[in-house]
Amino acid sequence: MNLPERKAPYVVPSCLIVIGAAFLIAGAPEVLAAVPQMPGGDVEYRAFPVVGSRVAVWVVAQLHLMFAAFVLAVPMFALTIEFIGYRSGDDRYDQLAYDFTKLLSVSFSFTATLGAMLTFLLFILYPRLMEYLVSIFDWTFVLYVSVFFLEAVFLYSYYYGWGKMPKGVHLLVGLGLNLVGIVILFIADAWLTFMNSPSGIDETGALVSTWDAINNFTWMPINIHRLIANICFGGSIAGAYGAYKFLGARTDEERAHYDWMGYIGNFIAIAALLPLPFAGYWLGREIYAFSQSLGIALMGGTFSWLFIIQAVLIGNLFLAANYYLWLSMERIHGAERYRKFIKYLLASVTVCFIVWATPHSLVATVEEARAMGGSHHPVLSVLGVMSAKNTAVNILILTTYLSFLFYRRANKEATVSWARTGKLVQFGILAIVVGIVVFLGVYGYFVEASVRIGLSIPQVGSVLFAMISITIIDIFMFKDAKVLGPIAWGKIPKRAQYTLFFIAITFAWTMGLMGYVRSGIRQHWHVYGVMADTSPDAFIPSLGYAANVVSVTVLIFFTFIAIVFWITSLSGRKEMEVGG
Amino acid sequence: MMNAVKIFAFTILVVLFYSYVGQMVPQTVTYPPDDTEIGEDMTTEELVEVGAEIVSGQGTCLSCHTMSGETGGRFPDLAGIGAAAGQRVEGMSDVEYLGQSLYEPNEFVVEGFLPGMPPAAQPPISLSDRQILAVIAYLQSLGGEPTVTLGTELPWQSEENSGGGGSEAAPAAPAAAQDMSGQELYDAYACGTCHSLTEPTPMIGPSLYDVGSRLSRDAIYEAILEPDATVAEGFQQGLMAAQLNATGFYDNVSTSQLRTLVEFLAQQTGEGS
Repeated sequence: MNLPERKAPYVVPSCLIVIGAAFLIAGAPEVLAAVPQMPGGDVEYRAFPVVGSRVAVWVVAQLHLMFAAFVLAVPMFALTIEFIGYRSGDDRYDQLAYDFTKLLSVSFSFTATLGAMLTFLLFILYPRLMEYLVSIFDWTFVLYVSVFFLEAVFLYSYYYGWGKMPKGVHLLVGLGLNLVGIVILFIADAWLTFMNSPSGIDETGALVSTWDAINNFTWMPINIHRLIANICFGGSIAGAYGAYKFLGARTDEERAHYDWMGYIGNFIAIAALLPLPFAGYWLGREIYAFSQSLGIALMGGTFSWLFIIQAVLIGNLFLAANYYLWLSMERIHGAERYRKFIKYLLASVTVCFIVWATPHSLVATVEEARAMGGSHHPVLSVLGVMSAKNTAVNILILTTYLSFLFYRRANKEATVSWARTGKLVQFGILAIVVGIVVFLGVYGYFVEASVRIGLSIPQVGSVLFAMISITIIDIFMFKDAKVLGPIAWGKIPKRAQYTLFFIAITFAWTMGLMGYVRSGIRQHWHVYGVMADTSPDAFIPSLGYAANVVSVTVLIFFTFIAIVFWITSLSGRKEMEVGG
Repeated sequence: MMNAVKIFAFTILVVLFYSYVGQMVPQTVTYPPDDTEIGEDMTTEELVEVGAEIVSGQGTCLSCHTMSGETGGRFPDLAGIGAAAGQRVEGMSDVEYLGQSLYEPNEFVVEGFLPGMPPAAQPPISLSDRQILAVIAYLQSLGGEPTVTLGTELPWQSEENSGGGGSEAAPAAPAAAQDMSGQELYDAYACGTCHSLTEPTPMIGPSLYDVGSRLSRDAIYEAILEPDATVAEGFQQGLMAAQLNATGFYDNVSTSQLRTLVEFLAQQTGEGS
């Protein structure tokens, strides 16, 4: 491929924003310490015009989180891909990693700007809450600022230094960028998880131990969940960028490159999506461990219907991910052998999707309810409980994994002597694990709640075991395999690119929805059980209202992302024209 | 450029679809629970009524517990707890057992269930000692005989937590006057606490804004007299019965009042009636 020479855009202003935001946060303790002595220092809340304080903070926080997720995730897979390119000597990987990294520069400016805006809004609109949080986490704000500054240094060194540093040094800079990114995430997570599951304080709410406040019940589960979710999200946005470039490509060469980029972005997103439910399960478990009331509010009370919306979103993600893989197989010679299985995979995904999205009780008229003998459908309500849903999710994950397995071996034929045995063992593992998952799902209906809750663990464990063991066998079985034909990159229908957009939009919407519930489960508390929310917004809005706020946020985000894509495209235009 | 327009249109369509899904589920707005006050001279019967109110409101008990008599739930069902309480732990009376369950819920956990209930006297629930007595009285009434008074002493009570319920009398059950209008009955039994007559938006219970065009008079009768026979989707089973019990509705309402109330509700057709 004749790929454009690298050149970075002019991005100094974003550094200034980062530094400005850093100073703002660093100064927070001093500013807040001064508040009581100032006129209006006792103000608990201030109102934001038109939409109100909550919606203003909600939208800006969500936008900041989306950009932050992207900026955190992209360096992870950019570094990984760069490393693969370095080890294999294949320049295409290096170019791909650089293409991903190009998206970072402008995105980082957006992240910093939105972060500064969020900081302003919080300190202005919720001074009492912020004063309390600063009293708990004072020195962590300073640490955050320092690490934030370091990230700016690493990020711009990584970006501008591409091709200008020895590769080993450049990789180390990339590693540094990733490490500080993770530290930033973990610090910010401490603040927000403390609000949900406070610890390290006495009965009056006064600080006893900052470390205990950081290391609260939900801190590490959120850290891990967000880390994985950020990779999903970042991968999907990067995949959407590949799709955007593919649709605008003028040559077959460009189409091939961006088809590949879209595939890799999507692969990263889906690979990270598979373990995400397990991380979510851990998080849910810790929420229950901290407070059964909080857990019930999350899963069984006010927000129980939110998880039906989530099921629609995640079901769509799995459906789209599978669909994209099946479309991608069209460009692989040899994949015809697996086409006959697609209808079964589709049936499995559809059935699991339906089960997952089945509510425990139904929205019904009085006549319908009377005919059913209550609000629970005599048959379908059986599918609306966790035993059925956990089973459906695990089978859905296995089905998607199977689609990926077919894609992986589409143009390969195993040549090792034990290939037949290997396939039989793989099939055996899959069949046994499906049997275990279904058996435990059914068994859950016949045991007490305390036993039933624990059944999720062997279900999850067996699915993870299946995916890991089958992959290991596959890697060895298809080593030095006979290649039946090339992958015709670029030869893929346009609808596959729209599927990538669909995945990215759905990820963004899911992220918005789950951000809402994570914050919403505190109900009328700023800090659960410690600081009550006495503002006019101390109620939980309807899900329809929340859905509209999430939708508006997602639309703003994609408008910003379109600007990021456009500006990023400008950086290589001159070389494109010359090279073209 | 055309591609960008198409992609943006596609994005709007997908987002609109998800917004639509968000509108298709039950729409409930949840407000912080009101602090229920306990009068200093309340009788046991009045404590039962207020206790029912606390159980479904400030105490948030029904977020986890059911009162349907069914087994298999995640937390113990409270139907018949008044009869069972005195037999759960040897040497403990029903009042002591219920007191322990509320103050130190994880000291004894019913077999087959996991610990984790928050102490009712501590945040985020923060009931006062007197409110807890009212809850115990109500729980005793579920299959047993309420005996608790405001003078009942429990080892977990403290001076700091003795208030909280205020000293003013709790809202008394409405008088059983025969000449009340439908609106007056609606107000007297606090139906408006959970249902809206003026807006289609659901509150704690479904909106009654257009109930007359949705339900026949028979169905409205049934919904009032047996609220758990058909619970509208997304709403808590047992809540309406508990609320109406708390206001003394079932004890006091006369046949003619019920007819007046049903007629009043049947006229709510969502057209400004």
